[in-house]
Amino acid sequence: MFVLEAKKIHKSYGNKFNRQEVLKGIDIKIETGEFVSIMGASGSGKTTLLNVLSSIDSVSGGEIKIEEKEMTRLKEKQLAQFRKKHLGFIFQDYNLLDTLTVKENILLPLSVSKTPKKEADEKFAAVASELGIFELKDKYPNEISGGQKQRTSAARAFIHEPSIIFADEPTGALDSKSASDLLNKLSDLNQKRKATIIMVTHDPVAASFCSRVIFIKDGQIYTQLNKGDQSRQAFFKDIMKTQGVLGGVQHEH
Amino acid sequence: MSINTIILRNLKKNLKNYYLYVFALIFSVALYFAFVTLQYDPSMSEAKGSIKGAAAIKTASILLVAIVSIFLLYANTIFIKRRSKEIGLFQLIGMTKNEIFRLLSLENLLLYFGSLIIGIFIGFSVSKLILMVLFKLTGVEGIASLHFSSEALLQTVIVFTVIYIFIMLMNFVFIKRQTILSLFRVVSIAEGKVKKLSILEMILGVLGLALIIAGYYISSLLFGGDFTSMNELFLAMVVILASVIIGTYLFYKGSVSFIASLIRKRKDGYLNVNEVLSLSSIMFRMKSSALLLTIITTVSALAIGLLSLSYISYYSAEKSAQDSLPSHFSFTDKEDAGKFTGSLQKEGLEYKEKSIELLHVDANMEDILDVNLEEMNFDSPNMILPVVSETSIDGIKLSPKETVLTGYNDALQKFMTLKDSGELEFMGKTNTIKQKYLGLKKDFVLPFYFTSGGLPVAIVDEKVYEDLKADLNPELQDEDSLFIGVDMKSDSDIEKANTLFKEMEFSGRADSQQEMSTRQKMNMGLIMFIVGFLGLTFLVTSGCILYFKQMDQSEDEKPNYTILRKLGFTQGDLLRGIQSKMAFNFGIPLIVGLLHSYFAVQSGWFFFGSELWMPMILVMVLYTVLYSIFGILSVIYSKKVIKDAL
Repeated sequence: MFVLEAKKIHKSYGNKFNRQEVLKGIDIKIETGEFVSIMGASGSGKTTLLNVLSSIDSVSGGEIKIEEKEMTRLKEKQLAQFRKKHLGFIFQDYNLLDTLTVKENILLPLSVSKTPKKEADEKFAAVASELGIFELKDKYPNEISGGQKQRTSAARAFIHEPSIIFADEPTGALDSKSASDLLNKLSDLNQKRKATIIMVTHDPVAASFCSRVIFIKDGQIYTQLNKGDQSRQAFFKDIMKTQGVLGGVQHEH
Repeated sequence: MSINTIILRNLKKNLKNYYLYVFALIFSVALYFAFVTLQYDPSMSEAKGSIKGAAAIKTASILLVAIVSIFLLYANTIFIKRRSKEIGLFQLIGMTKNEIFRLLSLENLLLYFGSLIIGIFIGFSVSKLILMVLFKLTGVEGIASLHFSSEALLQTVIVFTVIYIFIMLMNFVFIKRQTILSLFRVVSIAEGKVKKLSILEMILGVLGLALIIAGYYISSLLFGGDFTSMNELFLAMVVILASVIIGTYLFYKGSVSFIASLIRKRKDGYLNVNEVLSLSSIMFRMKSSALLLTIITTVSALAIGLLSLSYISYYSAEKSAQDSLPSHFSFTDKEDAGKFTGSLQKEGLEYKEKSIELLHVDANMEDILDVNLEEMNFDSPNMILPVVSETSIDGIKLSPKETVLTGYNDALQKFMTLKDSGELEFMGKTNTIKQKYLGLKKDFVLPFYFTSGGLPVAIVDEKVYEDLKADLNPELQDEDSLFIGVDMKSDSDIEKANTLFKEMEFSGRADSQQEMSTRQKMNMGLIMFIVGFLGLTFLVTSGCILYFKQMDQSEDEKPNYTILRKLGFTQGDLLRGIQSKMAFNFGIPLIVGLLHSYFAVQSGWFFFGSELWMPMILVMVLYTVLYSIFGILSVIYSKKVIKDAL
């Protein structure tokens, strides 16, 4: 069962005379419960791909189905409706509202979907304690550390149990300890809650936490790696190797 | 790219961004120029009426300059902060601070003096309209003609050049003090840090509300008889002013965030989009502009209050003229009256004549006065009342033991309340006559100059009157002891009769009701015009400042809008939230200002006229409507920002 199917996605910017094609026909299928990484060099189009898949940006051609539903023809209002029910987001710069407390930030998606308050409180308690931020609930974002902020952001993405969670460089602004903490939590949640996560990253360590890595080069899929049964260390080496070939960078192994 | 091209490009870009600043600049120049043009206009001398009028206009023009320059300087600080990144960039590419200053000055020069020229042009073209409004208000019949006054031009140019120099000075200091790094960071420093509500703030919040309510409470007692001596009254006024102004400041500093945080606490973290955008943002941002908001609120309260009072006075000009002069035409000399009625007959105008003879008698009012005399600083409970006989007044029949008082104004009633019944004594030169007091009637029977400005008139039985007359104390008597009132039988004749009245010369005192009402209308019209003019300027400038603040905030909050839209809030959702935020941001200062002015007007309006609600509500509605325009503009601007946010 595929939660997301994208066929021949094209995306280009600019006008008739000065057109720049960023995505040149990408096909992606993602199964329910998968933890997928998208990797690629700067400018390869990975963030654009994420934006298009998550309906924040529109495609120039091709079709995207999420849970069998065609996304490309929906209107702005329907898209917003869809986002609030089915999608969750984690961003590199946390994107927390700094005038709201941790709890208020996390509860936002539930208030969009008008979930009853009691249910919301239960969900909050569950997800916040899983991520280890329950004690921080009355703090404001500028009173907590980067790792805690990112976990708050993750809690917000998970709380309404979306079909897919999109993460854009979630570890980009974190130190290595906080980054591996966060990734451990993400893969925990991925397994416990059967949540589908699509993550854009250029950090091979982060990618090695996933079950599958998709490499993108110049707007096209270059190759894919499956983790299979190998250990995280072995998978990490595979990723490094592929990245070396991809970027043409020599690695000493 | 040369510096000149940079200047021109910047100008083009900024014009689009700061159209309201340019508009406000043009507007203030236009208002000022129009006002100064009036000041120098020869046809104004009639409307000014007197030296006092001219002085009022001069004072107003100084106040106008003060409002406009504070506004422009403030707007400039907002704008220079917003452009700090650009300035940092220029420094980064190697321009010296002096070069940047030159660039900014030149750019501002074009913007500023461009607006100045347009403003003067517009001011000149609307000055005729404004003059017509003034003539209409003051009832002066003149033809408003257009004069271009070079004096006005010179004065306007000088004033605004001085303001320009001040602005440049501010910019210079701003640029000099900044390093490249701090220039990049200035925006984030400007708004207060988000912190939890401290206990001190809560106390301040409660204190703010308490102070405002206490101020209101004292103001409602002000003329209710609790403060009777002049010193107490003055002290009470100072207390009211201080507690309301400090209360307002604390209200913005603490109460707003206190109330907001109470609401948030109750929600326990579960906020909907309206609350996210309005509550949380107001909670932190209103604090940082507490002083500004206090000034805006206080001055708008002052403007609304003064405008209401002068409008009340203007509105009730006719009524108060009727109270002061009960007949259309009043005389104190028989010959004068005869002369006047003679010419009325000649013209074939029908009239009614009545004459009332009166005495001034010392009366002991101790029993019927409802005040503590010592507090009032009264030497004795005796007052010199005008006394008339029942035969001169229609519709009253009294026994020799009874007295009725009539004609008592609201203002005096506040200080000197009379009981419904009791006893009073008339003290002649030798005898004292005891009388039963039957009550107070509203009708005015004698002109104001007989009643020492507002004392009631005593009506007594014919016999008592004769007794008092025989036993009269000559020291208390006025020159005149006769009032002859002439009333026109049909109202349409008053105008003609008044023309006759004005043409004649009289030996004694003679007054026309219509003249009096016209004079009051003229005086109050001029005051109203000036207050209205200043109020309008203030309204527009403070509205602009709030709008700039909102514009700034919308830009700051753009990332928030992005997050919220990614989470699945639609543009419509966000817009609704923004609307309620603006309703708070503009509504709170407006409502507080309206409340302040309501209580201020309420406490003392009776000195100014006889009709409270109509004029006050009219003024308030007008103010609210004009104010809302800025709120709507802010919403429109935010709409644009939201649209661009994703």
